Formats: sequence, structure tokens, C-alpha cells
Amino acid sequence: MTMVTSHIATASELPIIHRRRWGSWLLGAAALLLVATIVAAGIQARILDLPVFLDYLFSPLILTGALNAIVLGTLALLIATAIGFVAALMRVSGNLILVALSSTYVYLFRGTPMLIQLIFWFNAVPIMFKTITIWLPFMDAPLVSMPTTAVVTPFIAALAGLSLAEGAYMSEIIRGGILAVDQGQRAAARALGMTQKKVLQQVVIPQAGRIIIPAAGNQYIMLLKSTSLASAVGYLELLRIATDIYSSNFRVVELLAVAAIWYLVMTAFATALQTTLEKLFPQR
Amino acid sequence: MKAAVSVMDISKAWGTYAALTNVSFDVAPGEVVALLGPSGAGKSTILRCVNHLDTITAGRIYVHGSLIGYSERSDGLYELSDVEISRQRQSIGMVFQSFNLFRHLTALQNVMSGPVHVLNMPKDKARQIALNLLEKVGLGQKGDSYPSQLSGGQQQRVAIARALAMSPKVMLLDEPTSALDPELAQEVVVTIKALAEEGQTMLIATHDMGIARDVADRVIFMESGRIVEDGPSNEFFASPRSDRAKQFLSRISAH
Repeated sequence: MTMVTSHIATASELPIIHRRRWGSWLLGAAALLLVATIVAAGIQARILDLPVFLDYLFSPLILTGALNAIVLGTLALLIATAIGFVAALMRVSGNLILVALSSTYVYLFRGTPMLIQLIFWFNAVPIMFKTITIWLPFMDAPLVSMPTTAVVTPFIAALAGLSLAEGAYMSEIIRGGILAVDQGQRAAARALGMTQKKVLQQVVIPQAGRIIIPAAGNQYIMLLKSTSLASAVGYLELLRIATDIYSSNFRVVELLAVAAIWYLVMTAFATALQTTLEKLFPQR
Repeated sequence: MKAAVSVMDISKAWGTYAALTNVSFDVAPGEVVALLGPSGAGKSTILRCVNHLDTITAGRIYVHGSLIGYSERSDGLYELSDVEISRQRQSIGMVFQSFNLFRHLTALQNVMSGPVHVLNMPKDKARQIALNLLEKVGLGQKGDSYPSQLSGGQQQRVAIARALAMSPKVMLLDEPTSALDPELAQEVVVTIKALAEEGQTMLIATHDMGIARDVADRVIFMESGRIVEDGPSNEFFASPRSDRAKQFLSRISAH
């Protein structure tokens, strides 16, 4: 008995020594060294002229470009969410025709590059339809009739392209959110006497909404950066303005860095927005 | 006297599988009926048919005289619209095995949800009703808690309060204690017993012999979608008539 007691006493007196992970320390040091070498090489090569960089960072042209990018990206997200919501409801409706239409839309717009879609809206649509005419019933003359090129400005083409492409992604995200709401929640709501519409409003949307916030935030970030594709149709967003400037003064590195910085600022803003929403509407 | 619930010769099939076959019984106003039987006997299916969450393939169900889920015409029973079925469900309360509280709402908001969103009652009035009901199920202090912050027994009592907020003529309880450990189940049984004493008409699918013996006036014993035995609760436990019920009871008491 005494033997055991003394044994336990000795056991608890000895400190526990954790194993040192020398390998991971060495790996970390090597990685830091590599980064330091690249940064030092960059500074030595004077790839970035700091005064020029700072000059352009807050220039009115660049700021306008950044603002245009935010406007385009944000509007596109809102429209895409609306489109995605409708497409998702069609997809889960169980109505074969609506399911087929929604699936086809998602397949086409998710399956082709966004850039092609943008160029298509800007260049191909005005060729296919020379004028846009809107007729109202019981009217002798059309309500609206104007050349397509006057309607499809670079902004409209970019907005249509981004919204429709993004709508396909949003519809899948929203559909996932709707499917993630437990069937029991719906059964309980219907048992209380809620109509299908009320069940959707009071139970499915509030719960699915919380589920999709992180993914939607991710899409917003992607979309803000994808506004740079609109430079291809001549919309004066951030990248287009930066490239226009460096094609005349050849300060390529500085201007690309300026544009990159503003994209990072936008991303930080979108991340903060997402975090706030997640805190406001936590998943319970 | 008119029956509170009248189940008339209903059958239900999923493809070739017969979930219910020619089931008939009445529940009198104020009566508490326990549906007993092994899993898969069709107990829960009956409850889900009574408020038309599941549809029957034959027969008809009346709750306080109104035909549930269909309107009768000379050439058949036509299914009602979403709005009409929802209106019928307003007077039929339901409690689920897995509670199914709305998890984005507090306990109080859960209890208020029926009066506010279904009956369009002013929020102040609904809040008062909900507070009283939470008090009644012993959770007056838990109104601001979310379902995830409550124990299973507490969640089920909130779910009972949520159903009661619609002043249902009939309550359907689908294995209300099956997901709970014995101690938590007991607090739910106490709540259900108090309702029974107030004269609430209840149809309870259960595996809980405490509910069937002490709360229910009558037991309907089922197997494979058919009623095997139907009689007063005390008679069923004292001297079951069918061999199948005898076997069922002896296996349970062996535990």
C-alpha cells in the first residue's frame, strides 16, 4: 500500500514535457526567408515608385473607378439575389416545367464564362436586335421604340451580364439554404394553420437566410472583383481606368498596385458587412 | 353527442405498402385516447392524416363535424385548397416527437407565432396569451430563451404551449416523450396530464406506458396499420383481450 502511494506521489511531481516540433519550426523559418528574399529583390529592383503610387492612390479618376465598381458589383448582387430567389423557388417547386426552365438557366449561365456573357450583351445583342420596342395592349403606337445601342450602354451590358451569371450561382446557394431548413419546421408551421406562403415568409426564408449569409458574402466579394471584367465592354470601372492611365504613362506596376489596393479595400468592406450580418442574424 | 374526431374506415398506402388499413374510431369531446403499438404500426400516420399533413387513400376523417382535407361532391371527395386546409388546421393542435420549435424564434415568439401570423391577432394581446401559457407549462421565466438554450423537456413544453395558443378543439401528440430521457419525459407527462384534467380532447401516439395508463381514458392498440384492440385504458392494462396486446404488454413489463 505504501509502495503505491509513494509511486503516485513521484508520478505527480514530475513535470510533463511536450515534444518539440523542430521540423515545423524549421519549415516556418525557411518560408519566412523565402518571402524576405522576394521582397528584398523587389525593393532593390525599384519596381514600385512610391511617390507615383501614392499620387494615384487617391486621384479622382481612380476613386471614380472604384465607386463605379462598387455600384456595379452591389447592384448586380441585389439583382442576382432576386433572380436567384425566383430560380431557386422554381427549382424546388416540384412543377416539372418550372424545374426544367430553372435548371436550364443555371446550366447555361453557370456553364459559360462571365466574360463571354458580358461581351455577348454588349456586342451581340445590338446586332441581333436592331431596335427595342415595347408594345402595350390597345395602343396604336409602341410605348418605347429606340435603337438597341442606345439602351445597351456599357453599364447596362455589364450589369445584365454580371447579374444573370451571378443569379445562376445565387439560385444554387439559395436552393441549398431552402433545402437545409428541416422538414419538421415546415410541418410545425403548417400544423399551426399557416398557408404555404406564410410558411415561406415566417419560417423558411428567415432560416434559409441565415444559412446563406456566409456563402452570399463570398459571392459579393467575387462579384466586386468580377466587375473588372466590365473593362472589356468599356465600362469605366477601376481596372479600366487604371489600364487607360498606364497605357499613356507606362507606370504599369504602380497603377496595378493602386487598383489592387482598392479591390482589397472593397473586399474588407464586404467581409465586414458579412460578419455584421452573421452577428445580427445568428444561426440558432 | 357529436364526436370530436371521427375516423371512418381510412386507409393509406405508399405504393404497394399499406400504412393504414380500414381504421375506424371516434374520440368524444374531452376524451384522451392513446394510440399504442410497435413502431411502424401506423400511429403517427393516423395523427398526420387527421390534420391532413399526410393524405389518406380511402375513407374520411371528421373533426367536430367538418370533413378534413376534402369537400364532398356527388362524384367524389375533392381536395381543398391550401387556404381552406390551413383554416381547418387552426383548430387542431399538433405536438411532434422532435418538438420542431422554430429555431430562429424565442420561446415566447414561438408561442405567439400562431396567433400573430395565422389569426392576425395584435402582438400585445398575443404576447399576453403566450406569457400565460408559458406560465402554465412552468416556463414563465424562459420566454426569451431560444430553443437551442432549452432542454428537450422544456422545448416540448414550449411546443405544447405553442399548440395551445391557437385554442385547439383537438390536440394531436405524436410521441411527445419519445425523444426525452425518463426524467425530462416526466415533466412533459405532468403537463399533458394537467391538460387532460382540464378536459382537453387529445389523441396521443405514444410508447410511454405512463401516458397510456395514467393519462389516457382509452387505448387503441395497433399493429401493421390495423386496430387490434380498442377499449378503456384500465381494462387494456388489467386484462388485454388480444394475444398480440398481451404479448406487447408482457414484453414491456419485462423491462
